[in-house]
Amino acid sequence: MTRFPRPLAVLLVAAGVGLGTAWVREARRDDATGRGPDRAGGRTERCLTCHDRPDESPGGAHAAEAIGCEPCHLGNPWAFDKERAHAGLEREPGVLDTVGRTCGREGCHAREAGRVATSLMATGRGLIAVDRWVLGETPGPDGTEDFAALLATPRPTPAQDHLRRLCAGCHLQTRGDNRDDAVRGIGSGCGSCHATRKASLTIRAHVPVDAKVPDDRCLGCHSRSGRISLSYAGLAELKAGQDAPGGAVRLFDGRPAARAPADVHHERGVGCTDCHLHTDVMGDGIAHAHQEQQVAITCEACHGPVQEQDERPWATVDDPITRDLLRMRATVRTPLEPARLGSRGVPVWNARPTVDLPIEARPAAGADGRTAPWAIQGETDGREHPVRQTPADPDHRLAGHRRLSCSSCHSAWAPTCTSCHTRFAPEGRQWDFGLGAVADGEWVEESERFGWGPPTLAVQGDRIVPAIPGMVLTADLGPPNHAPVSRRLYAAIDPHTTRKESRSCASCHASSTALGLGTGTLDLGDDGPRFTPAEPRSDPPADARDGWVSLVPEAPAPGTRTDVRSLDAPEQRRTLRVAPCLPCHTKSADAIYRDFDRSVRALLDGGSRCTFEAPRWIGAR
Amino acid sequence: MGERPADGHRYGALSLGFLAVTVLSGVALVPLYRPEEAHAAVEAIQGGIPGAWLVRAVHAFGALGFLLSTVIHLAQVVVRGDVARVPVGVWWRSTLLLPIAYAGMLTGFLLRGDAEALAAMAVGRGVLGSVPWIGEGLATLLLGPQGAGLGPVALHHAGTLTVLPWLLSIEHGRRAWPDLRSWVTALLASIAIGGIVPVTPGPADGAAARLLGPWYLLGLQGMLLDLPVATGWIVPAAAVLGVGMLAHARGRARTAVMTVLAGVVAAWVGWTVRLLVAGAG
Repeated sequence: MTRFPRPLAVLLVAAGVGLGTAWVREARRDDATGRGPDRAGGRTERCLTCHDRPDESPGGAHAAEAIGCEPCHLGNPWAFDKERAHAGLEREPGVLDTVGRTCGREGCHAREAGRVATSLMATGRGLIAVDRWVLGETPGPDGTEDFAALLATPRPTPAQDHLRRLCAGCHLQTRGDNRDDAVRGIGSGCGSCHATRKASLTIRAHVPVDAKVPDDRCLGCHSRSGRISLSYAGLAELKAGQDAPGGAVRLFDGRPAARAPADVHHERGVGCTDCHLHTDVMGDGIAHAHQEQQVAITCEACHGPVQEQDERPWATVDDPITRDLLRMRATVRTPLEPARLGSRGVPVWNARPTVDLPIEARPAAGADGRTAPWAIQGETDGREHPVRQTPADPDHRLAGHRRLSCSSCHSAWAPTCTSCHTRFAPEGRQWDFGLGAVADGEWVEESERFGWGPPTLAVQGDRIVPAIPGMVLTADLGPPNHAPVSRRLYAAIDPHTTRKESRSCASCHASSTALGLGTGTLDLGDDGPRFTPAEPRSDPPADARDGWVSLVPEAPAPGTRTDVRSLDAPEQRRTLRVAPCLPCHTKSADAIYRDFDRSVRALLDGGSRCTFEAPRWIGAR
Repeated sequence: MGERPADGHRYGALSLGFLAVTVLSGVALVPLYRPEEAHAAVEAIQGGIPGAWLVRAVHAFGALGFLLSTVIHLAQVVVRGDVARVPVGVWWRSTLLLPIAYAGMLTGFLLRGDAEALAAMAVGRGVLGSVPWIGEGLATLLLGPQGAGLGPVALHHAGTLTVLPWLLSIEHGRRAWPDLRSWVTALLASIAIGGIVPVTPGPADGAAARLLGPWYLLGLQGMLLDLPVATGWIVPAAAVLGVGMLAHARGRARTAVMTVLAGVVAAWVGWTVRLLVAGAG
């Protein structure tokens, strides 16, 4: 009898083990394989074999059946087993560290992704530079440090640490597991704005993705600091326990707020992105230092008065992004139709003369029976909103008001916080967005109350603009060897509380708040203006705790930008000298305001019919 | 099946057995493969078609067995001093089996179409292109025109690199088909390993993973990180020439050739280790 070869026996057993293992593996493979479609957008895309429920698709232009999942989520669209399919998966498409391979891949939104990466919402350059300057680490409020560098710093300075813990959770470089509560749970990078909040609570339901950005996307981040999103909706944040006229309401994140007049644009249904152009929110490819440099929209762009260079035929507008926006919205501009331009020549894509609108789309006539000459198309509601043009009346042509910005008169109110104390508590523990973990130490912000009221007037460049207490604070930076910091800086702001009616003449010309003096009493008697603060500062006691500048200062007080300052002494005098006349001369159309200097001289020289015994100081300029 | 090979040529015969297993399993895979959607096709073989993954694994391990048994056979022949027994022309042609086996396995790697394969394709094109005067033409001949996809590679893999080793094996071993023992051994070994060890494709997204070439070329990949791109063809060509020269070299010349070959092997292993250690770090 032939002996069975031992090596062959070993091989047969090994092959049997191999086949047995293969049998088990094959059974598992078959069980794990989905039964849904394996093609999408004309190519193999096997994600849908498992993710085939309708609510797992974002729908619209990004519907899974149209483009598949991999273009946004990466991973392996050809694999059948879950582990391989999910290798390299991007759970938060649009996040900036992978955006070049997701939203920003060639053929999709490469142009936009590149611009967003340099925009202030991604870099935070202005925020970082101002904070570091205020806390005494840099010589000025301009800088090039961005959030990516800040978060990667191995040994942060006190200001960098302050930013990393309190500010860095609210910008486009964050991921969901390392982000401020305000934006948590929505999306990352592009998705921060374009991923609409889930309507369904179904665990696997996909967030809708839309080019149109509703206001609640902006609210998360812009309800902090200057709080323009809250102000726009007529909400003023309160401290917990602070009284509010009419009672407090709760914000989306539980903070209390008081009702205040909403912005007239908000009341008319105009959303944030109806005004703010693509360059405002997504950048223009230039790493600007501050927000006012990136924002191109102006009040005048829509409401006029329009300079010749700010209106031109569409045929001469060279802005491919705007043209794409128009194409996406299926609207056409004829070559000779006029286009309105924001700063830097960025066209207001959704503004057009009402005569160029289809009759059925034209907004209804106003109370005066006239149709507004211009309209803007609402991004989210699709409606045509009438845009009245600034009239050439005395209110808007007053010689003394040449430098006033629209918002300096039409901003009804602005939030104020003038009692902020920031301290570093070494014994505490707090999330560090740079580390993505809780770290030793805690930055604690304390304030007595939040306020709101007519804003202060500031000078930015050559324009008078509204301002609020941007950095009126004391900061105890903690050990080791960091001296406490005390700053009294106001920030120029568009409060986003625009009303058709302007603030009263007295609210500027006879207001200590408007002049930057703070809360108190202005005495405009014969001896000259005198200010008595409601809450005096310890040094100097003549100044108010919530004030920015002294009355008739030797030098104006600085703002949070190099080109922002308080009114100086001559500007304060010129403002105040109108006040004594206001009780009688309430209208800007009044004859005395045509040439106020001449009117004052006539009054003081006795050459006027006015019987008012004016204080002599109003003659000083 | 022919007569049984002498014991001294056991691995030579086994290499033919592995070649047969590789070719037959490859034939079974041909209808399932689409070079225009290479990675998708490989993933379908791997996860979408019942049992296809096992055939692919047998194909892969059969090819690996072919390479290893060929190298071991070569080493045995050299160590035992049997080189002189092989006619010089046959020796030189048989020497070509070594780069052909490598090329067969490398093209099989490229046909995966994943991120590692595409990266290896680009590297291979660069290496071939660095050959003076004929580089660009050589790259086009072997890999197809730039942007042509994997179609030309698939043709070479299934055609050129199947026919050539078989013809050279027939001439070298004087038989067209392996003996039963070699054939059964190769088949059972390939099934045993293929059933137990899955052969998974590489990553789809090159940006999300560290890309490595096939393990038997890691030494060359490591060299290319540190040395000029021409190293990619000079070192393998030197190794093949060295093996070929063994048919002529005697005495000290043979020692010199052996030293060079040992140096190439040592460098290959050294750079492999360096690459893997660097990756682990």
